[in-house]
Amino acid sequence: MTVDEIIGFAVASGRNVLFEDEAGALLKAAGIPVNPCRVASDEDEAVRVAKETGFPVVLKVRSQAIAHKTDAGGVRLGLTDEGTVRLAYRGIMEKARLIDQDARVTVHPMASPGVELLVGMTTDPQFGQVMAFGLGGILVELFKDITFRQVPLLEKDAVEMINSIKGSAVLKGYRGRPPVNTTAVTDIILKISRLVEGEPRIKEVDLNPVFAYPEGALVADARIIV
Amino acid sequence: MARTSPAGLHSVFYPERVAVIGVTGTPDRVGYNILESILYGGFTGKVYPVHPRHEQVLGCKVYKSLEDIPEPVDVAVICLNQYATVEAVENCGRAGVKGVICSAGGFRETGEEGHDLERRLVSAAEKYGLPIIGPNTLGMINNDGNFYSTFYPMKIPKGKVSIVSQSGGIGLTIINMAVDEGIGINKFIGVGNCSNLGFADCLDYLESDDSTAVIGVFIEGTSDAGRFVRTAGRVARKKPVVVYKAGRVTGADNYTQTHTGSSAGSFQLYRDILHQHGVFTVNSASELVAACKALALQPLPEGNRVGILTHTAGPSVVMIDHLAQAGCVIPALHDQTISRVKQIIGADNPPVVLKNPLDAAGLGFSRPTYGGLAEAMLADDNVDILLAVYCLHKTWELPASELIEAHKKYKKPLIVNFIGNWLGCRQDREFLQKAGVPLFTAPEKTAVAAAALVHYGTKLKGGGNRDC
Repeated sequence: MTVDEIIGFAVASGRNVLFEDEAGALLKAAGIPVNPCRVASDEDEAVRVAKETGFPVVLKVRSQAIAHKTDAGGVRLGLTDEGTVRLAYRGIMEKARLIDQDARVTVHPMASPGVELLVGMTTDPQFGQVMAFGLGGILVELFKDITFRQVPLLEKDAVEMINSIKGSAVLKGYRGRPPVNTTAVTDIILKISRLVEGEPRIKEVDLNPVFAYPEGALVADARIIV
Repeated sequence: MARTSPAGLHSVFYPERVAVIGVTGTPDRVGYNILESILYGGFTGKVYPVHPRHEQVLGCKVYKSLEDIPEPVDVAVICLNQYATVEAVENCGRAGVKGVICSAGGFRETGEEGHDLERRLVSAAEKYGLPIIGPNTLGMINNDGNFYSTFYPMKIPKGKVSIVSQSGGIGLTIINMAVDEGIGINKFIGVGNCSNLGFADCLDYLESDDSTAVIGVFIEGTSDAGRFVRTAGRVARKKPVVVYKAGRVTGADNYTQTHTGSSAGSFQLYRDILHQHGVFTVNSASELVAACKALALQPLPEGNRVGILTHTAGPSVVMIDHLAQAGCVIPALHDQTISRVKQIIGADNPPVVLKNPLDAAGLGFSRPTYGGLAEAMLADDNVDILLAVYCLHKTWELPASELIEAHKKYKKPLIVNFIGNWLGCRQDREFLQKAGVPLFTAPEKTAVAAAALVHYGTKLKGGGNRDC
């Protein structure tokens, strides 16, 4: 599906927050490397998809009613076999079905850990579309080490974003760890900038975490609001 | 917001005939002070005070109404309350006035009712394509055209720095600090509520204004932030723009809303996006003045390598703190520079740390020695800009003429930091600044001034940054 079709479908379904499989497809269509996922509608399907995906896997709740998956107990990481997938599925659904009968799950391969980054876009009432970049995961809230640029970004803007955060040393190889591929990170930033510039219906993008590795980068969680 | 062309604003800044509407004979009323200010500032055009009941104020004949004035006026300064202001603007439009300055408050900043009134003000003006400075403003000064239309009568030195300020109080702070720093002001625009003439319009005008070389901006917030930052970025590619953004704490919106009716927005968004567009930002009015002063006086450096000459270590430590954050580097000196320094100092084992910053300690007190060291550092092609620190002393004289000579010889930017009070440095400051060498008495100001020069040096001259 094209970006236009994905957004059109969500809007027609009365949703302004894309499901994660939709967000993933949208990012893929924009040429951004994203951890793949598939939707499962029941426990057996979750197991089958997990086996096809290959263990370990991640299960995440997929519901129009649940905006913050982790807070709702809707994210289970590092599931290593059929048994843990079944348990995780039941655990997620027990809660989710209380508020949404149509809740399903997405099944993802467990991305190998890298440096956790945040790439985002927000629509500011004064500046319009603004890109955000910083250290991701829980560190975002703790250190607020984030930098902003107005869309559209030039390549030098993306490079400056990466260099201007306080934690940029983490990307350059810290305490003997290899440096990450910052070109892959700037590539994601620039592709998001181009994506939202061409598609003003996108109001907010929150890629967190994006894992950065020595050989590349991968979006592990994506939230897109239209 | 109206897009008044810079050419359209020329007659607002350089009027030949000015009406002062709502003039009064009471010296503590704005209507008196604005006329007083225009007269005191030495306006050479014609002034037409307007009031239905007065005959004469400050020796000027008062006209009953705008229609009674025998010739068309270019600008009307309106010193009426907010309600009468709206009506006066309508009259001005009909009479073919080219621009108005509205000092009255009581508009958007006061809430919904005031907002409605401001919408009426703007639509009255826009019917006639009339640019409004304000409302809710201190006013405007064009020092280049001797037109002082604020209600604070003053005469300030002429210069190349123009200021756009959302606040009258901070505007006056900046103007007075500039006077204290010994630099002149070209134009001052109090944009106030930015009703139909915003920051971007003022920047557009000042970009095309040949008498303005440097632009300083104080901003609390604007509803047109996107256009402001893009315009600032575009103008900054032609002449330096320095921005001081206030309202950095969460909750500042509450106050800025009731001040000029604009929300402060996120401080970090402004800062990051201004940097994205290549605009130099500062954190205080005194930094704004320091940066504008250096940019107005000095040539731009070819790069970001800063040499520091001192005879006391502390100021160089403070400067390096600021410079490093601003992307400046403190390069190593060439071997031949070190040899030259040794020769000048003349001791076999000088108690001097022979590197950059060059701390000549007790050997740096003598004027010829200090001048020689300054020349040696300026001659070093690792050094793009020199900061020279020297302490005021009862017995030694400040090495002002030596520093001017060194600057003339090498044509590289030089900023002098004398450690002393203004009284002690005053004569030397005048001497130095007449020769184009800025003098500061605080290392923090010297550092921000250097950072501003380096910012625009690497940007406008394309020298680029180097990691040393």
